[in-house]
Amino acid sequence: MLKPYPRDPARWPRLFTLLLGLLLLAPSFSLTQFNPATLANPDSWHTMAGFVAGFFPLSTQGSFLLDVARETITTLASATAGIALAMLLGAPLAFVTTRALERHVLAAEAASASMLLFKSAVRGVMVILRGIPEIVWALLFVRAAGLGSLPAVLAIGLAYGGMLGKVYAEILESQPRELATALYLQGASRWQCLLYGLWPQALPELVSYSVYRWECAIRASAVMGFVGAGGVGQLLDTSLKMLNGGEVSTLLLVFLLLVGLSEGISLCSRHALERARGGLYLLGGGLLAVVASVLWLLPGWRDSGFDLSAIPRFIHDFFPPDGSMLAELAHGTLETLAMSALGTVLAFVAAAVLAMPAAGRFGSLLKLASRLLLNLLRGVPDLLWASIAVLAVGLGPAAGVLALALHTAGVLGRLFAETLENADHTPELALRQSGVSQLLAFAYGLLPTVFSQWVAYTLYRWENNIRIATVLGIVGAGGLGQQLYLALSLFQQHKAASLIIAMLLLSWLVEQLSRAWRQHMA
Amino acid sequence: MKTLKLSLATALLAISALASAEEAVLKVSAIPDEAPTELQRKFAPLGQYLEKQLGMKVQFVPVTDYAAVVTALNSDKIDMAWLGGFTFVQASLHGKVVPLVQREEDSRFTSKFIVNAAVGAKSLKDLKGKSFAFGSASSTSGHLMPRYFLQKEGIKPETFFKNVAYSGAHDATVAWVASGKVDAGALNASVWDKLVESGKVDSSKVKLLATSPAFYDYNWTVRGNLDKKLQERISAAFLKLDPKNPQDKAILDLQRASRFIPTKADNYKGIESAAEAAGLLK
Repeated sequence: MLKPYPRDPARWPRLFTLLLGLLLLAPSFSLTQFNPATLANPDSWHTMAGFVAGFFPLSTQGSFLLDVARETITTLASATAGIALAMLLGAPLAFVTTRALERHVLAAEAASASMLLFKSAVRGVMVILRGIPEIVWALLFVRAAGLGSLPAVLAIGLAYGGMLGKVYAEILESQPRELATALYLQGASRWQCLLYGLWPQALPELVSYSVYRWECAIRASAVMGFVGAGGVGQLLDTSLKMLNGGEVSTLLLVFLLLVGLSEGISLCSRHALERARGGLYLLGGGLLAVVASVLWLLPGWRDSGFDLSAIPRFIHDFFPPDGSMLAELAHGTLETLAMSALGTVLAFVAAAVLAMPAAGRFGSLLKLASRLLLNLLRGVPDLLWASIAVLAVGLGPAAGVLALALHTAGVLGRLFAETLENADHTPELALRQSGVSQLLAFAYGLLPTVFSQWVAYTLYRWENNIRIATVLGIVGAGGLGQQLYLALSLFQQHKAASLIIAMLLLSWLVEQLSRAWRQHMA
Repeated sequence: MKTLKLSLATALLAISALASAEEAVLKVSAIPDEAPTELQRKFAPLGQYLEKQLGMKVQFVPVTDYAAVVTALNSDKIDMAWLGGFTFVQASLHGKVVPLVQREEDSRFTSKFIVNAAVGAKSLKDLKGKSFAFGSASSTSGHLMPRYFLQKEGIKPETFFKNVAYSGAHDATVAWVASGKVDAGALNASVWDKLVESGKVDSSKVKLLATSPAFYDYNWTVRGNLDKKLQERISAAFLKLDPKNPQDKAILDLQRASRFIPTKADNYKGIESAAEAAGLLK
């Protein structure tokens, strides 16, 4: 005799989570002034339609296209040179901080206190490097030392250097330790343990992560121009400001091609790793690309009059940070958090809806169409979405919400579709064959198998979106970024320092929470 | 040994030649208060004129950021810049700079408040709860003075308007108001007049709401350590531009100047106190 299945044992936690979620979201609407009705407002559609109608025909003026070509190469070159710098910075940081090479891990010996202190200090530096978003680094370099592509390269180098350092260290930590331990017990040095014990196993993962970062760097470098750091972003900034639709659409097309190209190269290089001597070709190609990039950028750097000696004075001006603006900071921080939360939730809903056709559930035509839409949503960087969204819902944090929702929907939609495709379809099929409706079969047969993964992806994206929300203000979409941009424009360095500290704290807090949460899940 | 000395001497010569070649270039920039292409177009004939008058190469360095022009001038990266009243005050607070000349119009400059026709506002007070765009945060006639005069009317922009935005440039403000991206905005009177005269403003969409009282604005400023003789020659070249001479008139028209007159730092004391009152200086 089968006993009736007990009631859902997780009902109380589930209800609690749902209520908490709603409770957290409610103030977000008022904080971000996000009113879905604005989207239905004929006036804003009219504004938007006027702007979009201006997209056609694409601008194909000779001198403009020449500018676009030049700035596109600069964008690629800045990203490549920036990643090279980031690797040069990240590798030693990882070597110093990774727990995989610690004495007490390898051989249960006690670590010296001074060594531990030194490592914590280096980790602190890494938190600062990656806690400040790359576009804020670029803005700081632009203000401190001059315009041009050098600030973009330095910004990518520093921000991604901190990130690569952390991830390289984690990759080394995740490798099996036996070999390194054995070497260490034989009296091998740290270097030898790394080179012979960890390096060979970790290499594919290290390379593939670096290539992925290069891909991100291209997207980042494409928007650096918004703060005066060169590349296609600079042209786009001007075209958007002047509401020149034809130029905007040409540039958008270039953007999408760039993103597509970088994904293609990234895929190829990952395949290359699997082939014999592929790594060698990859190394050669990479070095060649870096040299070519630096050669391309060098004349611009020489002319720009970039002044490294101005940086110490610039930093000196930041102290002491302005302590009297706590209320402003709290408001900016709340606005930033609300923007990211609301944007992520909306993206989750949109992604779930779009993932169904994208996973091929409604025929191949809809699959193709929805995949194209997802690629478009994902290919356009959030900052760019934000500058377009201000037209639809007006200036302010509401535009930030919309921008985050659109870009994140593209990212999540693709991931959701992939999980749907990879999921085990037997439970759903069994339900279908026993006469259950299509919707119910999906809800009880397939959804439970993918849902926890969807939530995990979404939370990870939210973490990312909090960081992005801090900078959307640079294009007029509210949050801490807007205040920082203004403070730096008016030479109010003490204020700027407080804002940067707030950004750092927020980013650090999110990282800690997310790590704690992941450990809890595992 | 001899060859070594010889090559050393040649190298030294080459270096000094390079250095002197560098000295013979006057690097000029301007705050980007209009679209970059417009700035280049406006400067080209003036640059050629200055080259002829000074007998040296004049290079225009395009900059997309107001604050960067101030920083560049203060750190001797450029020799001369077209500054607004507020950027001049910022530059003189951060280093030594010398204002040379201004347009005659700059001694009685004004800002214009404009509004999207659909809003139906008749006075500044009607803009309560609307969105409002200044130009660049560092602009005198697009931000500082409009803010100062609003304040005098008892209007604090951040609480009075629904949203305050910065379009970045005067012509962008007009485009934003015309498109409905913002309800109203403030800009430089001279750019407004130019856009109206050239028919680039759709008067059915954008209405003039108010004009501010007059104040001192733009000037041509050089870095403080630029050769005094050269400073005088630059001033003289500007002052010599004669509206009765057709060639000079073309240059003056592009600058929207009837003629250039000498200026001094004291002219901008009013701007400095307005900036202090508006809370835009530290």
